[in-house]
Amino acid sequence: MPMKSLPQVVVASLALTFAACGGGDSQPAAPPVTQAQAPMAAAAGNGSVSGTISFGGVAPAAEKVKLSADPKCAAMHKDGLERQQIKVTDGGLADVLVLVKTGLSGNYTAPAEPVLLDQKGCDYTPHMLAMMAGQKLKIRNSDDTLHNIHPRPKDNAEFNIGQPRQGMESEKSFEKPEMLIPVGCDVHPWMRAYITVLSHPFFAVTQEDGRFEIKGLPAGEYEIQAIHGKLGLDKAVSGKVSVKDGEAATLDLTLQG
Amino acid sequence: MFDGWRHRFALLTAGATLFLIFAGGMVTSTGSGLAVPDWPLSYGMLMPPMVGGIFYEHGHRLVATTVGVFTLVLAVWTTRREARSGVRRLAWVALLAVVAQGVLGGLTVILLLPTPISVSHACLAQAVFCVMIALAYSTSREWLRAEARESDAAGLRRASTLAVAAVYLQLVLGALMRHLHAGLAIPDFPLALGRLVPPFDSQGVALHFSHRVFALLVLAAVGWAWVCARSTADVRLRRNATLALGLTLLQVVLGASAVLSARAALPTTLHVVNGAAVLGACFLLALRAFHLLQAPAPSAPRSAVLRAA
Repeated sequence: MPMKSLPQVVVASLALTFAACGGGDSQPAAPPVTQAQAPMAAAAGNGSVSGTISFGGVAPAAEKVKLSADPKCAAMHKDGLERQQIKVTDGGLADVLVLVKTGLSGNYTAPAEPVLLDQKGCDYTPHMLAMMAGQKLKIRNSDDTLHNIHPRPKDNAEFNIGQPRQGMESEKSFEKPEMLIPVGCDVHPWMRAYITVLSHPFFAVTQEDGRFEIKGLPAGEYEIQAIHGKLGLDKAVSGKVSVKDGEAATLDLTLQG
Repeated sequence: MFDGWRHRFALLTAGATLFLIFAGGMVTSTGSGLAVPDWPLSYGMLMPPMVGGIFYEHGHRLVATTVGVFTLVLAVWTTRREARSGVRRLAWVALLAVVAQGVLGGLTVILLLPTPISVSHACLAQAVFCVMIALAYSTSREWLRAEARESDAAGLRRASTLAVAAVYLQLVLGALMRHLHAGLAIPDFPLALGRLVPPFDSQGVALHFSHRVFALLVLAAVGWAWVCARSTADVRLRRNATLALGLTLLQVVLGASAVLSARAALPTTLHVVNGAAVLGACFLLALRAFHLLQAPAPSAPRSAVLRAA
């Protein structure tokens, strides 16, 4: 092959590369932030729902996480770090999001106070976080190592930010309701949390013993739903409850493994 | 005139490019593509702590920078010392392609890994490797030595060109499969979801199965080039074709291990880099076939044959 034609062949190949390789779905553009309508203030209430979310099944054994990739994380956990995504104490399941699924009316304004997602001990606190659409999310790095915060929403704008220094804080928000947005750190792949964005403020996350309480509900008939991040939306359970003004209703639910 | 040091440097650059493909493969295989959220700096620094996913992502950037510097040196060196204008142009094409790769790499990070850019970044990497091979071969003693050219009666030039095209298309399919997360759409091997032909109930299954079926076509194309090479008298071409066929067979084994290991990082990345090696071996075979062989003499027209009789 004459050398004169070789560069032309190579350049043509590169052009074909670009023509051939542009396949696949492109990532959707960040959804536009729409101007919200002035909300109709929803009725305030003084009822509540409380109860226990139990786990029906055998909780898997905790996984031992290899921390050698980051000596600072390893130093924070001299005995190692165990990741227990399904935490059961006396039958009660921790980190379950309990929310009002149906029965509410009116619009609710997001509170001015932000919710906090902290990176501490090379892990997230909390692992399950719920907030309102438009509410500020404060992300803090309490560790003396770098983290990147990378949520992967489907309906909201994805972002990926770095926090290289201890004490750094960043603020973000999600404009649309969305369930179980996974959040991870690409530097430390064992870190995992879930953020759920709701259009109302009636939700709670269970404590270590599986207990929860949702306050401030107006009187009415409600469907209450319980969701665990690891188990997913497919395993979510719900139950109906009647709330009277000033009274505390109870509802216990069981999530199956 | 043969310039031994420049030729060796071109070989080094080609080797570094292959290593860069391995480093880039490890970034995807370990899920570290966004471990460094900014570009061109890394967490605002030239050199961040090389921990966790940063080790793979920033490590990949360091190797890429090294390849960029090597390519720049080669381009300048070639411009100053090379008499052939085609080779001088090729060296600058290589540099432009490496710069384009860097820009694509930055865009993948800034735009959060959009599939078309990630796939383009993967495919251009393979093309850049071929350009480096061309630069290395064009500066070799073999290229510069004037030799009597054997007739390509067996059609090796056509067969090797077809093999290059087939391998490149397979690499594009592989990149699409990887970046559309279809690598485990079929989690078993050699069967596909327990059957010879799986149900095509998802895009991922269809894409993954296409990659497997096309692998057989690649094997056939490279095998045919090997058969054609065996018909030549040139042992260099026969050895090159045997290397290409051997790497292709290894690629099938590595593909199986990537699936059966549930896409463990190392076997999956070895499959990626060996794919580049297959492409490189076939591309070199094609270059050598075109350089060392000549078109067979046309057959005498029928009327002339009759008159001679």
